[in-house]
Amino acid sequence: MITYLVRRLFQALVVLVLVTVVVFGFRWLLPGGPAHALLAANPTATGPGTAALRRDYGLGSPAAVQYLAWLGQVLHGNLGFSTVQSTSVGSLLAASLPRTLALTLTATVLAVAVAIPAGLAQGLIKGSVADAALRGLSYLGYGMPTFFLGSILILVFAVKLGWFGAEGPQAPGIAGVITDWRDLTLPVLTLAIFTGAVFARYARAAAIESLASDYVRTAKGVGAGYRRVLVRHVLRNSLIPVITLAGLSLPQIFGGALIVESLFNIEGMGWRLWQAALKHDFPVLLGFILVIGVGAVVGSLLADIGYVIADPRIRFTRQ
Amino acid sequence: MWRAQRHRTPIAAGARSGGLARRRVALGCVGLLTVALAAAGCGSHNRSGAGNTPRNGGTATYALPANVTPNYIFPFSPGVDFTVVNLDNLQMLMYRPLYWFGDNGLPYLNEKFSLAYKPQYNGQVVTIRIKPNLVWSNGEPITAQNVVFWMNMMKAVGQTEWGGYIRGDLPDDVKNIHVVSGSQSEMQMTIIGKYSPQWFTNNQLSQITPMPQYWDRTGPNRPSHCTQNVSDCAAVFNYLNRLGADSATWATSPVWKVVDGPWQLTGYSSQGVLTFSFNNKYSLPLPHKYHITKFREIPFTTEQAEFNQLQAGGSQALDVGYLPTVDAPVPLQPGSVGQNPVPNYNLQPVYTWGLSYMPINFNPADPQVAIFRQPYIRQALQLLVNQPAIIQGALHGYGKPSTGPVGNSPPTPYLSQQARRGGLFQFNAPAARKLLRDHGWDVRRGRTTTCALPGAGPSQCGKGVGRGAALSFKMMVATGNAWVQSAVLQLASNASQVGIQIQLSYGTFNDIVGIAIGDCGPKKNAPCPWQIADWGEGWSYVPDYLPTGDELFGTGSIGNIGQYSDKYNDRLIKATLQAPNKSAFLQAMYKWQDWLAPQVPVLLQPTAPAALFESIDNLRIGTQSPTLALTPEDWYYVR
Repeated sequence: MITYLVRRLFQALVVLVLVTVVVFGFRWLLPGGPAHALLAANPTATGPGTAALRRDYGLGSPAAVQYLAWLGQVLHGNLGFSTVQSTSVGSLLAASLPRTLALTLTATVLAVAVAIPAGLAQGLIKGSVADAALRGLSYLGYGMPTFFLGSILILVFAVKLGWFGAEGPQAPGIAGVITDWRDLTLPVLTLAIFTGAVFARYARAAAIESLASDYVRTAKGVGAGYRRVLVRHVLRNSLIPVITLAGLSLPQIFGGALIVESLFNIEGMGWRLWQAALKHDFPVLLGFILVIGVGAVVGSLLADIGYVIADPRIRFTRQ
Repeated sequence: MWRAQRHRTPIAAGARSGGLARRRVALGCVGLLTVALAAAGCGSHNRSGAGNTPRNGGTATYALPANVTPNYIFPFSPGVDFTVVNLDNLQMLMYRPLYWFGDNGLPYLNEKFSLAYKPQYNGQVVTIRIKPNLVWSNGEPITAQNVVFWMNMMKAVGQTEWGGYIRGDLPDDVKNIHVVSGSQSEMQMTIIGKYSPQWFTNNQLSQITPMPQYWDRTGPNRPSHCTQNVSDCAAVFNYLNRLGADSATWATSPVWKVVDGPWQLTGYSSQGVLTFSFNNKYSLPLPHKYHITKFREIPFTTEQAEFNQLQAGGSQALDVGYLPTVDAPVPLQPGSVGQNPVPNYNLQPVYTWGLSYMPINFNPADPQVAIFRQPYIRQALQLLVNQPAIIQGALHGYGKPSTGPVGNSPPTPYLSQQARRGGLFQFNAPAARKLLRDHGWDVRRGRTTTCALPGAGPSQCGKGVGRGAALSFKMMVATGNAWVQSAVLQLASNASQVGIQIQLSYGTFNDIVGIAIGDCGPKKNAPCPWQIADWGEGWSYVPDYLPTGDELFGTGSIGNIGQYSDKYNDRLIKATLQAPNKSAFLQAMYKWQDWLAPQVPVLLQPTAPAALFESIDNLRIGTQSPTLALTPEDWYYVR
């Protein structure tokens, strides 16, 4: 187990370095080259400010030197300064990441909490009217575009009934965001309905497969109780595809949900990244992609550990 | 200046659409939510209940334009920061220009709210006299030296660092700038060259923003002498520029606390919410006895998010917001407003003092330039722009048709009789077809129109246009603005009726403007990937308030994106700049615009509202200025 974890940690480190190289290399792919990428946000600048910008980013030096200089800054916690936003990338991250995490994590947790029991229940009542109804609902949640669903939720629950806010939480910090349940509810619901519908579909399929498997039949045959079969065998194996999906969702958890953020006036990771791309705000692009990349790599590592815990066969094959 | 950014940079007409049709679609919604919708039908709220008794104090919450937040506080903004949102939503609230423009909804000099009396001209010498008893918020008197401070900084770094700089204009057109000996309130400068006093006041002195003595420093405890020596100004600029670009310190820095305007910035959150408090030392007159004392600006990701919040209210209800054009109620009569979809709010369309147009590319390197050099081609294209249809359709009835090279919204005495009567080239596809056929073009249904009779004669295609030349143009369009998308599709469709092919390509506002200005604009003669461009609006006459053509249509001018050039036009423009008095100025303006209008140097399109303001019932905000200056000090609540 420890060897496996060490090996995965090393792999994650290599991937992280590759992520930084790729992200940094984006500058050379932009029209006009790396200098233009930085200065495009301030194309008319010719004065002392520009000189400082060139110095800070080592423009004119070989690419490797620029990369190492940038990496050094990153390791010291300096992700650069946005001339478009007039603030450091770090402070933009500090403002955006908590909002995004509060939104996407809450939605994912809610989706998992609803989808797994729902999927399991559907597996047990496969083919019944209730199963068909739940399947229909999950198709609806899966197929409805988030902007459409979010707009309806706003129209009904914010504009007409006034129960919840029409925009996401505006308080700073993750605590401020999470405690503002009135404003958090609709964006979380919008995301959770879609995510939950997807998870439920997979959980149902996995539950049906598990229920028909040899080990469940064997467990029943040796006299294991209904509850034990369900929890120890069916549920545990049904979790694996959900863990896979949750792992695949990690870039979204860190990268934000652009449409939901835009709709609910949440200046989160996705929205800021999109704006940075439109406005050629390269320091923000670089910093945000890096953080999302790190989040995704670390999250994948955690998902792999989750696999090991959920499925002992993985542990055996690795060892 | 182009309108997305205040001067010399196009206006972000863009951010006003953003996937807005969904609210309507939502009404035909799915069964799952039908019950909830039905339950919702009776739940509309009522937030106001306005009386008519004015009261002092209170906070007004205001929605910033979608997807825009101020990013530069120092009122000496470099190019990219020289934007409408920085000037109107931040700097001018705190730092007042020397001369205030905006008078009862008209873009005229308003001496009452200016820091100085009207300038006096004596030959080439202009004298500016600051009004008595005006003070900065730190108690310093506002003096002529504060004006010299700005002028010295312009002399030192204006050419490279000030976004409003135009070669030959301030500070190049003045010399001998000095405070009158023995006076604190008077300063003089000598104009280089011959300019009319009216133009100089409206288009040159209008740009000055006095700066307090407190700002004359290179560090927190390092005073400098930019007010006396131009050579000290670069270091002062560097210090203030660094501070101005760091939004995290705006609300706490003692530098930005020194204001002469009615507002002080007292809060700036990481979410971009700006909080202003009334400056109790504000020393210019206020229009009313009553006013609000706190003002908050809230950023929004999209117009739809703002509109949702406007309708929903709740803990962060907006007092002043705006209606997305796609949600605007169609007015029953032109000039009125329709049934407001937001209860308890008042709807007020505001139009920018400017000109809305699509530049045509006259770059000599452009492959189609020979075709565009023929005035009849440009006239034919203008005949294919259906301005009334755009206003009635895409703009939901809110828009003003443009009539010539001078902006007509609001109507001013600068407009000639001809322009007041309406545009010369109203939508008329048959007339466009006839114009082309009369000049030797082969116009056939379903085919691209080509030149059949080359030559320079009156019934031939024109000089430089070869046989078989096709009327096929590339048009680049900025995305993000629903009415623009609709208008250009309509233009392409109309053009196809006479065999003109318009190939549309789309890009972000920044990209389109960047290509138009940078890659093949006035500065370079590189081949251009465009023949017509549209970023949504056009030019705003702020803070160059006289609509003379020098910046937009003068040969080599920075605002002349399409590089239109005509010597006679330049002479007529020069006559407007040098007219000795108001009457001569107006005559020169009429002569110039009546000559230029049939030349069609740009394609005119309707002026869209800068905003459809929504203000809550119990807040009086008055008529909003076409200069777009925000004046919350004029606002007051009633009970």
